[in-house]
Amino acid sequence: MLSPDIARVARPGQFVMIGCGLDTPGVFMLPRPFSIGWRSPDGRIGILLRVFGQGTRRLSALERGDRVLLLGPLGEPFRLTAGQPIRCVAGGVGLAPFLFLAGEARAADHDVTLVYGERSAPYVFDPALIRELTGGVAQIWTEDGSAGSRGLVTQGLDPDDEALLLACGPTPMLRAVAAFARDHGADLQVSVEEYMACGVGTCQGCVVPGADGRWIKSCTEGPVFDARELAWPT
Amino acid sequence: MADLSQELFGAEFQSPVLLASGTCGYGEEYADLIPLDELGGLVTKAVSVEPRRGNPPHRVSETPGGMINAIGLENVGLDAFIAEKLPWLRANLQRAQVFVNVVGWTEDDFARVVLGLDDEDGFLGFEINVSCPNVKGGTLFGTDEQALAGLVKRLRAATDRPLIVKLTPNVPDVTVYARICEEGGADGLSAINTFPGMLIDVERRRPVIGNVSGGVSGPAILPMGVYLTWRAASACSIPIMGIGGIRSAEDALQYVLGGASLVQVGTSSFVDPQASVTVHDGISAYLDRHGVEKLSDLVGALDVPDPPSPPTLDAG
Repeated sequence: MLSPDIARVARPGQFVMIGCGLDTPGVFMLPRPFSIGWRSPDGRIGILLRVFGQGTRRLSALERGDRVLLLGPLGEPFRLTAGQPIRCVAGGVGLAPFLFLAGEARAADHDVTLVYGERSAPYVFDPALIRELTGGVAQIWTEDGSAGSRGLVTQGLDPDDEALLLACGPTPMLRAVAAFARDHGADLQVSVEEYMACGVGTCQGCVVPGADGRWIKSCTEGPVFDARELAWPT
Repeated sequence: MADLSQELFGAEFQSPVLLASGTCGYGEEYADLIPLDELGGLVTKAVSVEPRRGNPPHRVSETPGGMINAIGLENVGLDAFIAEKLPWLRANLQRAQVFVNVVGWTEDDFARVVLGLDDEDGFLGFEINVSCPNVKGGTLFGTDEQALAGLVKRLRAATDRPLIVKLTPNVPDVTVYARICEEGGADGLSAINTFPGMLIDVERRRPVIGNVSGGVSGPAILPMGVYLTWRAASACSIPIMGIGGIRSAEDALQYVLGGASLVQVGTSSFVDPQASVTVHDGISAYLDRHGVEKLSDLVGALDVPDPPSPPTLDAG
């Protein structure tokens, strides 16, 4: 998608709201949040779109040249310290922010590895594109072993590694990575997702449970959180 | 250029288009996206005496032609609203009018918020929320004639500021409640709040919304909102703010012709943050196109033909 204003200032972990606006007769669709997956020097941004429901189905029907309503970049990005080694843990379309992050972090001389899990081979994002976008190879895991190693992404984590963990994916995966980080004393930032209407803090719809007992808005206070800020089931 | 401004509630409304409560936060959230001070105004997220945590997720979901929400009146509470939110509104909105949406569970709750805010600057009046479907007791005052009458009377005695009552659609006859508000001294009505509804995730056999049920908004409720506004307008003479599913000037004008002096854009702002501006511009274009000099000339200017007798082909 061509959006030079967003591409220029976006940072890995931030997201955009994508919608159809109000111009299409008979269509009333709330915009949907997507992590920014990459950006190009000519002012384009990309997302990973997988059809889950009616919104993603409608967006997948868009064609080249169609106009969409884009709002962004929104939310808090991942927070990196210079030179810090980074382990990205991605599940499904949770891969998106790490395509963006891994490329930029490698360019800034971070030691980056990417562990990427899917249910099975047909879902796996093209490894050649991952290499092109991130400048490195992803360690791929599938639940049925039809691509990469058989198992869950958490099996790809090294307990003795002291690198910063970053995770984005389905909630059960985030829970498992959070448990791993807690057990091994690792620092972990997670990117979370919750049903969202506005993306800018007005609707207060997209809350996640905070460790302090509050409901925290994932759009403006997240979507990236230090895992310690959130309440995880014990 | 047609004149869209109106003198209402002792104040100047430069535009008939306001942002609805619960869809514009406390204004600040939309400051970078909408020229807020060029709108008619906004109605804040509800304010209660104490802060409220709100409901568990999911709090929102899309529905056919709209959305369902059950936020649960999460808000910062009266003290934090005065300390943290009102200063921004005071400093940044000079021409747009601000209403504070007030919620409570007892007459005392409502009165404490109204009295606590009455001496503050930065807003015009109160929108009294007796119609939230997403919390226990949220519609108590809106569906009980005696309770409503008592509340309006109590709040009327508590403030000289404009007092607007936001009605629930969830009553058999809205005119009864509109009249109660007018007789109790309310300055205006907001019609209407969301309709109660629910969505079920059939794969998981569970309600989609954390609160189980929620309030349905968006274009799906437009005809009901227009109808209830028209009914309320026929029963009382105080100004009405029409709300429900407005996404275009044509939608807004249906409310105006049905009897609303002002309109509130809500859910459509989520789909396009500029929706309120588009509605305003479209109303202006409509007035020019139809040679109407003042918007107020259109308020309630609905032409309802008498039923022909004997039946004839309607010449249109």
